[in-house]
Amino acid sequence: MSDAMIIVLTAGLTATALALLGPFLVLRRVALMGDAVSHAVLPGIVAAFLVFQTRAPLVVILGAAAFALICVLAIEALRGTGLVASDAAIGLVFPALFALGVLGIHRYAANIHLDLDSTIYGEIAFAPFRTLDLGGVEVVRSVLIMGVVAAVNLGLITLLWKELKVTSFDPDFARSIRFSPTVVARLLLIAVAVTAVTAFESVGAILVVALLIVPAAAAYLMTDRLVAMVAIAVAIGWVSSVVGYAGAVEVDASIAGAMGLTAAVIFGIALLASPRHGLIARAVRRARTRRAVERALAEERGAQGAGA
Amino acid sequence: MGPLIDLLPLSYTESVVVVGAAVLGVAAGVLGALAVLPRRSLVGDALAHSALPGVAIAFLVTGARDPASLLVGAAIAGLIGAFMMVGIERTSRIRPDAAIGVVLSSFFSLGIVLLTYIGTTGNAQQAGLETYLFGQAAGLLERDVNVMAVIAALSIACVVLALRVIKTTLFDRSFAASVGVPVRVVELATTALLVAAIVIGLRAVGAILMVAMLIVPTVTARQLTHRLGPLLALAGVIGASVGATGALLSSRAEIPTGPVIVLVGTAVAVAAVLLAPGRGVVWRWAHRRRERRSALSSGVLIDLETALHAGPPPTVDELVLASARPRGDVRRGLRALDRAGLIERDDDRLRLSESGAAAAHAALDERRLWSAWLEHGWRLDLGDAREPDPRDLRRTLGDELTDRLLGFDAEAAPS
Repeated sequence: MSDAMIIVLTAGLTATALALLGPFLVLRRVALMGDAVSHAVLPGIVAAFLVFQTRAPLVVILGAAAFALICVLAIEALRGTGLVASDAAIGLVFPALFALGVLGIHRYAANIHLDLDSTIYGEIAFAPFRTLDLGGVEVVRSVLIMGVVAAVNLGLITLLWKELKVTSFDPDFARSIRFSPTVVARLLLIAVAVTAVTAFESVGAILVVALLIVPAAAAYLMTDRLVAMVAIAVAIGWVSSVVGYAGAVEVDASIAGAMGLTAAVIFGIALLASPRHGLIARAVRRARTRRAVERALAEERGAQGAGA
Repeated sequence: MGPLIDLLPLSYTESVVVVGAAVLGVAAGVLGALAVLPRRSLVGDALAHSALPGVAIAFLVTGARDPASLLVGAAIAGLIGAFMMVGIERTSRIRPDAAIGVVLSSFFSLGIVLLTYIGTTGNAQQAGLETYLFGQAAGLLERDVNVMAVIAALSIACVVLALRVIKTTLFDRSFAASVGVPVRVVELATTALLVAAIVIGLRAVGAILMVAMLIVPTVTARQLTHRLGPLLALAGVIGASVGATGALLSSRAEIPTGPVIVLVGTAVAVAAVLLAPGRGVVWRWAHRRRERRSALSSGVLIDLETALHAGPPPTVDELVLASARPRGDVRRGLRALDRAGLIERDDDRLRLSESGAAAAHAALDERRLWSAWLEHGWRLDLGDAREPDPRDLRRTLGDELTDRLLGFDAEAAPS
């Protein structure tokens, strides 16, 4: 495999893993969960480093995953009290965890080289150089990891499809037919936390935040069906990966940035040109209605004129 | 702010940081309510990220790291980002959180692409541009504090002068528009104030602290009041006290200011969510427990009264059988009745005391009134549409209506 293919494949698999979960977050109004997790893992990284004195990826990922879980479960618990809206709950929890991490670095690790960029907030351009030896076959680590995570997420949402659907759209109805919205929400958020943490290490935080929200939001503009929304989100994720990579190579810019930007452009196109919910379609519909009303009014006036 | 800074019994640097954090707290507290109440809490986070391309473009245009032009760039990018958020939310079916997320990730991606582009131009001054936005509260200057104070004063003045307009726009936008409130202007003005506060705050204290400072005061104040006016005032006070406390603590313990303020703020907000009177989690739990207990003891009281009617005073075991409640519940109810002096024990037989008999009759009357309400309530002409309180029908209905209700009940009863 060429380096280009490995990078695109890593990005595409990451986008798949994230786009399978993103639509549910957008529907549940907790789209910024990815951003929250990206900040909240900091104390986990610091703690893993302090306890085990190593920057081995597995240890760091485990520490980060622990705090990602604390973050999503704390947000869900706060939201569950019914006293704090979900966006405010997100904004209460992740700054606190991030602050803990900063204090930890200041207190214990100020003179140790703990470069966050290289420990967890990975860089996708290095994906081809990180390989694993699997029984004599050399495998690219990020492709393997993100492939497994994407497959697990696919399995999860196929298994829990109707539960996720009913609890996303109508939690009260779900409770009345004995699907616990809390349990389903927790499972979904745990999947988000684990996916985000593994993806940070492969492609970097900002691309994770972007691929979790933007394709799902664009898909939400294009369709009213949940299956179609998930499928479109995955497709947008792949298009962003391929086009973004080509663009980044063309102008020699950050690959993650270019991929995020491509997704944003696709969102812009969907916002303008989506067949039913786009701005253009709406404007056309409104103009057509106005013309029809004017015509009807004119005819009525004409009829009155003829009668008199 | 000079006199206030001199007034504090602290060293000059410490007083600047404490006063600065307090002033920032007031501005963020008051303006934060305008972001938190319409569910746009994370606007601070998004603007912190969307300022990055502004900084990069300002650098590209001027070719130098001039603080003033970088700040202007950040502010303009922040404004554009904020208006795009509101625009996406208003013109499409995308909801606030997703709109914020889309703007955040698009602008930050653009910023990264621009920064890598600047990196290839080989201008040596570009180093550290990306850290421009992540300030340090301990590095606050008196000048920053003065700017913050002006913004705080301005935002308080706007909010006080336009309270009614802001209130209608916040709670019911279409109604506000229909009665002639210039909704767009109000939204633009509040968003612009918010952007100004966030951009200045970002530079001074960093993105994460700004996110927390916008949210904590409103979440806390919301637990303590239901009214917008008091909420705004409380949010300002809470913001100031959290900022000042955090700054003082951090300077005493010699640890970074921003994180300490964030942690103090989160602790305050969580405490409010747990303990707020009439609303907090702990309060609700205790209230529910009290209600459940009083329902249980009056139930057991009525069971005992019924059993006494039917035969000789029962033992505890007989009462358990007669009442068809779990043994533990009956014991717990009896203990509560014992404490209130409503029952007497005669060896192992149970009897009602004098006050117990009265209480049992009152409870039975209450029950009869409730079933009368359920059965005949529709025949009463109530003055308003409110449902009466099921625990105290006589008080909420008034004596006259209650007597009529009992009259209906007596009519319908087989003689």
